[in-house]
Amino acid sequence: MSQISRRELLRLSATSLASGLVLAACGKQSGVQDDGAIARLGEAPSTTALAEAEVNDVVLLRTASSLEYNAIDTYTAALGLGVFKGDLAAATEIAKRFREDHQNHADAVNSLVRALGGKEYRCANTRINDLYLAPALALITDEKNPNVGIDVVALAHALENLAAQTYQGVVELISDPKLRADAIRIGQQESRHAALLAQVLNPGLAAVGPTFDETTGKPKIAAIPGAFGSQTNIQLTVGAPKDDGSRTTLLLETPSLNSLIYEGVSC
Amino acid sequence: MLNDADSKLLAFAQALELAIRDIYATLVDRGTKTGDELAILKLMHSHHVAYEQSLNGMLSKKAATSRNDEVFTQTFSALSDPTKTWPVLLELENTAVATHTALVEKIESPTAASLIASVVMVEARHAAIISTLVTTNLAQALDNPATALAAP
Repeated sequence: MSQISRRELLRLSATSLASGLVLAACGKQSGVQDDGAIARLGEAPSTTALAEAEVNDVVLLRTASSLEYNAIDTYTAALGLGVFKGDLAAATEIAKRFREDHQNHADAVNSLVRALGGKEYRCANTRINDLYLAPALALITDEKNPNVGIDVVALAHALENLAAQTYQGVVELISDPKLRADAIRIGQQESRHAALLAQVLNPGLAAVGPTFDETTGKPKIAAIPGAFGSQTNIQLTVGAPKDDGSRTTLLLETPSLNSLIYEGVSC
Repeated sequence: MLNDADSKLLAFAQALELAIRDIYATLVDRGTKTGDELAILKLMHSHHVAYEQSLNGMLSKKAATSRNDEVFTQTFSALSDPTKTWPVLLELENTAVATHTALVEKIESPTAASLIASVVMVEARHAAIISTLVTTNLAQALDNPATALAAP
């Protein structure tokens, strides 16, 4: 037989009573009309459930299309800045050709979306724009930045890598093998864009493979940075030098669950 | 676990990579390229070694045991003229891109398709950079006119 002292018995009784009061306050009492005049514990306003957001082939392709429009908008903005002069004069023709490629990619991807019964998506990914592109362009076009032209090329290079990584990444997620191949066909051209832009940023055959800054030890931009397509985040260093000489580095990542273009999303 | 059809397709890809690896090894040994150009040949050779080995690892006991001799012989013959080194390599890399991409259309395993995708992304970079050694024509660096090899 368990031994419970009088003090313990009183404490247990008090705990039980308190629990009962809380439960009573949370629930409706039988026979009592609820006129809504008194707020109760546990009552919350009704909510509207979010629509089911399935990640399927259509969503992945619509997201890819949105990135194509990010690229188209970026090249249009870059060309509008009129900064491709002097050593960068050739960049104007490159930017025009790359923008045309992205428009072709967007058309091709949206054609696949329609074939799957989805609704095409013909505008930029706002989250990618808000997180990466708008801040980068703000830093680049800062009046104190002495390297606007080359920074625009750096942004384009980062964006091309982002696009290539996105197409490479969706290959494992797409269910239809034919669509996987279509993703690779487009992604491999984004890779070519990135390789050529890397040569503008860090020219010469010696800079094709991985090289490192002798002062900082950090890797320099390379046309062919590794044997396999990377899936790591992309570093973009742009803008005016700070007091200590450093510049702002943004880390770009491929679209994730909160930046996918779900079927319910429209431009 | 790969099914038999996927294994055959990946073994075909591996045999192609073995042929490309041997072509680069031949060019490195031949010594007609020096300095930065030789460094690029060595870099690309090391990549194709990595591709062949990664496919070998995925295929395990079903791995290819020999290179694609037809590709090796044809390419080796075309390389007899040293001035044609880069144009021939451009065509070889573009053929690899086209062939691997066509294989992905038939491969069922998403993991295998993903590996091939990561290979193609860099072989496309190889082609773009080699193209800059051949011509200043931007379209040649960006477009791939190569036809995929017929898979089993």
